[in-house]
Amino acid sequence: MRFLINSICLLLLIGCKSYPKRNGFEPTESRLMKIENPYFSDARQDYVYKATINAFDQRLGGLLIIKKIGLEHHRVVFTTEMGNTIFDFTLQGSDFKVNQILKEIDRKIVLDLFRKDFEILIKEQAPVTKSFTDGSDLVLELNSRHKKHYYFYVDNQLKKIARTGNGNEKVSFLFSGIKGNIAREIRIDHSNIDLKIALKAL
Amino acid sequence: MLKTVPYRPSRTSKEIKIFWISLLFILALTQITAQTKMSPPEATALRKEVKNRAEATTTITSDFSQYKHLDFLENDIESKGKLAFKAPDLVRWEYIEPFDYSVLFKDQTLYINDDGNKSNLDVGSSKIFKQLNQLITASIRGDMFDESKFFIEYFKKGGNSLVYFLPKDNQLSEIIKAFHLTFNDKAEVIGVKMIEPSDDYTKIEFANRKVNESISDAVFNQ
Repeated sequence: MRFLINSICLLLLIGCKSYPKRNGFEPTESRLMKIENPYFSDARQDYVYKATINAFDQRLGGLLIIKKIGLEHHRVVFTTEMGNTIFDFTLQGSDFKVNQILKEIDRKIVLDLFRKDFEILIKEQAPVTKSFTDGSDLVLELNSRHKKHYYFYVDNQLKKIARTGNGNEKVSFLFSGIKGNIAREIRIDHSNIDLKIALKAL
Repeated sequence: MLKTVPYRPSRTSKEIKIFWISLLFILALTQITAQTKMSPPEATALRKEVKNRAEATTTITSDFSQYKHLDFLENDIESKGKLAFKAPDLVRWEYIEPFDYSVLFKDQTLYINDDGNKSNLDVGSSKIFKQLNQLITASIRGDMFDESKFFIEYFKKGGNSLVYFLPKDNQLSEIIKAFHLTFNDKAEVIGVKMIEPSDDYTKIEFANRKVNESISDAVFNQ
């Protein structure tokens, strides 16, 4: 009986380990007070990506178009290759407006998923809650919608954002092919549900 | 005593003259490019010519340029590709730039090849998009004068004919407000514009059109 209680306690202790601890990050002092994501921050730029959404054994191809309209204000539009709109959202501050969506995917659960992902994808700046390092790279923690997000910077470039829940990675945003303030390739992978979004800049 | 001054055109009157000449010139120019409504006999003649041409067409190959216009973007999104059509209903629509993507309409099915990833369960499997894609391919031949499905309006514009097709079907009109087809003087489709309810649009222009030349069946293999 004592063994069982001990085991449960041990499991609880391991289970409660935070994401940074699990990944061997040490707290560090950082002069950076804000997370910064430059990839959708230029209002003069039309961000156009060839997109593939793999969800629940279905594959949906098209173009993802993101435009910064103003401060904390973006339009996010997904169209087929032939130009027909599948969805069209406006994200402004904490507001989320659906301008248009194809009836077949107009479900609250789908909208919530897209809203959470796009909010993080386009968030330019936010205050850091904690800073860590794994020895060489900098990891900054951000609280957004009561979820901890970790921003990984390698050589001062944002390479990854991890959204966590119960100390586990739930969604990862991976940026590669970085030229200036443009990420030529972006992947958004959900680990708790079957949803993966791959973007390639045109 | 009243002095008489000889009349000399002032600078202002010269400017007025230039203004009138420019105005006449602009009016003459707009007359050439203006969009005027067709008379019913003209519309009937166009319909007949397009139908005859469509019936005599066994194959079409053409290049196309596509411009996706969204009001909030600095520039239209441009893509280019090729299309091949073989009567009665084989169509291959292929983008070459800036991405590789093709759609094949065969045996009532849509086959998609997205940069090597083949599927036939894309968004094209959605009933509404299937309908839309069939309309796009119908528009290649131009023969979509179906008054049970569209409100149709006919115009003349600079030697070409312009026809507006406004969908009657509620489901379709939620996605597309209107199709505008431009026909040249040989009643061939040279441009298609699909206008969304938001007034954003996709414009497709055809070039290097070749009719009734033989096309290998391999072009329509998946």
